[in-house]
Amino acid sequence: MKYKLLLLIVIFLTPSCSKWLDVKPQDGIIRDNYWQNKEQLKAAVIGCYSSLLDNELVENLFVWGELRADMVTSTLNTSIDEVNIMQANILSSNSYTSWASVYRTINYCNTVIDFAAQVLQSDKTLTQEQLDAYLAEAHGLRALMYYNLLRSFGEVPLQLKASASDDQLQQLKKSSQQEVYDQIMKDLSFAEQHAVETYGNITVDKGRFTKFTIYAIEADAYLWMEKYEDCITACDKIINSNRFGLMDGSVQAQWFNTMYFVGNSNESIFEFQFDQQKLNPFYGMFGATNNHFIGSPRVMEEVYGIDITDETKKDIRGDGGSIRATDQMIWKFAGATSGTRLDARSAADSYAHWFVYRFADVLLLKAEALAWVSKGGDALRLVGKVRLRAHALAFTEKSPDSTSAADISNYILEERAREFAFEGKRWYDVLRNAKRDNYAHLDIILDMVAANAPGNMQQSIINKYKDVRSHYFPINQYELQADKQLVQNPYYQ
Amino acid sequence: MRIMIICLLLLCSCKKVDIVSNTTDEVNITGYLQQHSDKFSSFLKILSITGDEGFLGVYGAYTAFIPDNDAIAIYLQSTGKPAIENIDVQELKDLVKFHLLQDTISTSSFSDGKLSKLTMYGQYLITGAGNKDGVTRVTVNRQANITQGNIRVGNGIIHVIDHVLQPAKFTLAEMIENDPKYSIFSQAVKETGLYDTLNILPASNADSSRAWLTVLAESDSVLNNAGISSYADLKTKLSHTGDPKNVDDSLHLYVNYHILYGVKYLADIVSSTSHTTLAPLEVVTSKLSGQAVLINDDTFNGIYEPGVELNRAGSDNSASNGVLHAAMGHFAIKIRNPVPVYWDVANFPEIRNLPAYFGKQNYPFTLANMPKDITTPGPSAMTYTVGSTYVNGDFLAIPLGGPGRSAWVELKTPLLVRGKYKVWICYRTQKQSGSSNNVNQISVDGEPLQRTMNFTVSMPVSSAGEMEAQGWKWYTDPVSNNWASRLVGTVDIKTTDRHLLRFTTLQGTQNNNNLDMIHFIPQDMDQLYPRFKTDGTPVPRP
Repeated sequence: MKYKLLLLIVIFLTPSCSKWLDVKPQDGIIRDNYWQNKEQLKAAVIGCYSSLLDNELVENLFVWGELRADMVTSTLNTSIDEVNIMQANILSSNSYTSWASVYRTINYCNTVIDFAAQVLQSDKTLTQEQLDAYLAEAHGLRALMYYNLLRSFGEVPLQLKASASDDQLQQLKKSSQQEVYDQIMKDLSFAEQHAVETYGNITVDKGRFTKFTIYAIEADAYLWMEKYEDCITACDKIINSNRFGLMDGSVQAQWFNTMYFVGNSNESIFEFQFDQQKLNPFYGMFGATNNHFIGSPRVMEEVYGIDITDETKKDIRGDGGSIRATDQMIWKFAGATSGTRLDARSAADSYAHWFVYRFADVLLLKAEALAWVSKGGDALRLVGKVRLRAHALAFTEKSPDSTSAADISNYILEERAREFAFEGKRWYDVLRNAKRDNYAHLDIILDMVAANAPGNMQQSIINKYKDVRSHYFPINQYELQADKQLVQNPYYQ
Repeated sequence: MRIMIICLLLLCSCKKVDIVSNTTDEVNITGYLQQHSDKFSSFLKILSITGDEGFLGVYGAYTAFIPDNDAIAIYLQSTGKPAIENIDVQELKDLVKFHLLQDTISTSSFSDGKLSKLTMYGQYLITGAGNKDGVTRVTVNRQANITQGNIRVGNGIIHVIDHVLQPAKFTLAEMIENDPKYSIFSQAVKETGLYDTLNILPASNADSSRAWLTVLAESDSVLNNAGISSYADLKTKLSHTGDPKNVDDSLHLYVNYHILYGVKYLADIVSSTSHTTLAPLEVVTSKLSGQAVLINDDTFNGIYEPGVELNRAGSDNSASNGVLHAAMGHFAIKIRNPVPVYWDVANFPEIRNLPAYFGKQNYPFTLANMPKDITTPGPSAMTYTVGSTYVNGDFLAIPLGGPGRSAWVELKTPLLVRGKYKVWICYRTQKQSGSSNNVNQISVDGEPLQRTMNFTVSMPVSSAGEMEAQGWKWYTDPVSNNWASRLVGTVDIKTTDRHLLRFTTLQGTQNNNNLDMIHFIPQDMDQLYPRFKTDGTPVPRP
């Protein structure tokens, strides 16, 4: 009995009781303890940007923006899902129809937007202005992500609340394209007001959202919705800031090194900044011997042209800029050097940035908008500026009638293919031009696919693209299972 | 204690446990139809009449095109029968067979042409996509749309269709005969006796190579445009023996030339560059230009010869023994005499498109980016080499031979006209090292030529005539003993087409196999001239 008592005493005394009921994780941090000071707020915002470096996200952005267009072709290592997108055989089981990576970033932005205001209470050194600046970044990034979804899927669910745990998951319906667009514009107008002009550091300016990043997205989105005057205004805000310019292209090697190998050039407005710590997935996609994608033969033959008689005359964006002509490697992301000697990046050097907006983009967006408000002459001057920098060949020069908006617009579309080759823009450029004025220019897409389709599937592919509902991806089958409110896009039902 | 055990036993007894005895709850085709009998009761009824329920309910690998109830209702209406039971059982059996394939084929592997497998009925199905009022649907046999595709079930894949598929009833011969716009061509088919060839069902055809055929027919209006207004005109123009039944008669050959072996829809025609015809050893070439399917559109000896387009709308007509296409122009066998081909192997589009290298500096090809007309199995590729002159200042250095180098290299020739040619291999003699050796057998389309050649052997120099007798010649101007041309034999080119020439190393191995040109010279022509200057200019016999 004496021992039993002793035992009881020992049992009750040995474990210290204080933390018995404390179930907080010991190796992490919970929300109640977060959002206390501005350093934590900044870390959360930077976290949003870090999520952009996710391999799946940039792979998707490349695949969505290029595979249905005419600049990329398959190799023996291209996966079935990838080939199926190229051949207009897209099913909801295709892994590239998963939008998870985009919504992941959106959720990070939502978290900042939902909780950032708390910090104001606990950290008195945080000003309202600083808070708004951080919020502007989150709103801007969310807008950019929804803009990608809008152009790829058309109608998507608008998730605007953070889902911090499973029980908060919302079952959402799809919103219409107009609703998604309106939400993008709402986010951008907040961001435009509160974003900073500069962070005082060139690297940070290219990797985080500034006012100019917001203007660039606005310009792009206005053009998408055929609001030409608004697009021109947004472009002018960037052009008149005098903070950006075209990189000198007189020495191709130097130009390539600054723009693409190192990144963060003066021409850049926003980039996903991969680095040696966080490599991009491009080595496997473009650079390795078993790469998935190479440039199409037409890139050299038709897009840039070849001067057979004088090899020194060349468009700097062609061989050694976007592509290595000898093996059609996608040089923009896989190349290390340019000029006279073209060495590829090694796997350890695969940190080319993903270029979201560049000054040249702003010039050509503006040119396209100008063309459709009867200012063809001004539009052609802007195109000329971009071509001059790039030493574009006479072969690719056209002189469309300055009163013909469609001709100028088509010329700009060709110039955009040269300027932004493989930057994940080609399909959206083609789609934007084709769908203009209620799909008055559908031929642009049909001609493109007719020229690129495998001969034995050409007619089927043309007919598939004639159905404009096929221009947007299906909702992935797993998303349909997870969210019962979602309805598959009609073309894929 | 006992009571306790009894109590325990009582507690846990009596409840029936569901034991899962199936390995999967996935249904098979019949099972799927039964689960969705609201949509497929009619087709199930057909299956029960034909007795096919059973085999679609057990394991296998099938593709089933299943018409839904509405589709079958439309079908019944078209036959004028009140109910399924009124239709002849054999007809139903054929119908079911025509909807089934013994393979699992999803819509991703559909093309513009036929499915790769025959239906169980024994006719091909063609697929495609059709756009009506802006809405695109995947089509089957131009008769039905797929309303719900790629339903995976235990024994295959189901595609639901909105119309019943019906096999072609007519043979090619009957199809041509029945179509008034082919009246002249049809008469030609009959007069040449080829009607019978085109009128046999595949199953009963003794000659399996002719079981399936493809006809490129010329309509009356096409022939009218060519100045032929009746069969009599055609006969006067073409028949040189006066007896079209004679297989050597050129009218007979004309019709034969419009019949291709195999069942070739337009998608199949554009997938290959040439097709053999029933005219002995004559091929038609084909290509896709924009969206147009062109026949015999060739550049020959530097001269462009425009081809004939196949009318997409009037083509791809399935017959029970093949497919019928409509040619939009009149075409016949081109009579060509063999012409010599002096082929500079180091001049091809892939290298011309690299102006920094072409004619300027060496370019090492890798296995990954070999030109499309030159093939090696690896491990080595080849180097485009510049600097040591001769024809156009360049040649190909092709490593060949044992370990570390490719065992063979194969080059696709320019277009060669049917005939007999002497083949000369023109190369720069070089030994990689003193003991190097590289003996090659040359073959054309897999047929070895009579003599081997060795890239390391210098030409024995004597008089031109003596050398020719031994199978050597100078091919350069001025002549150089380092640049040898070796006669490897005479080849009988049977079809006017591009052919495959292969070097297979029999002995030795080295890198410096410097191939400059290959000459195909008709055997009755001058073999020693022209010679070639470094800039490529031919120098005729003085």
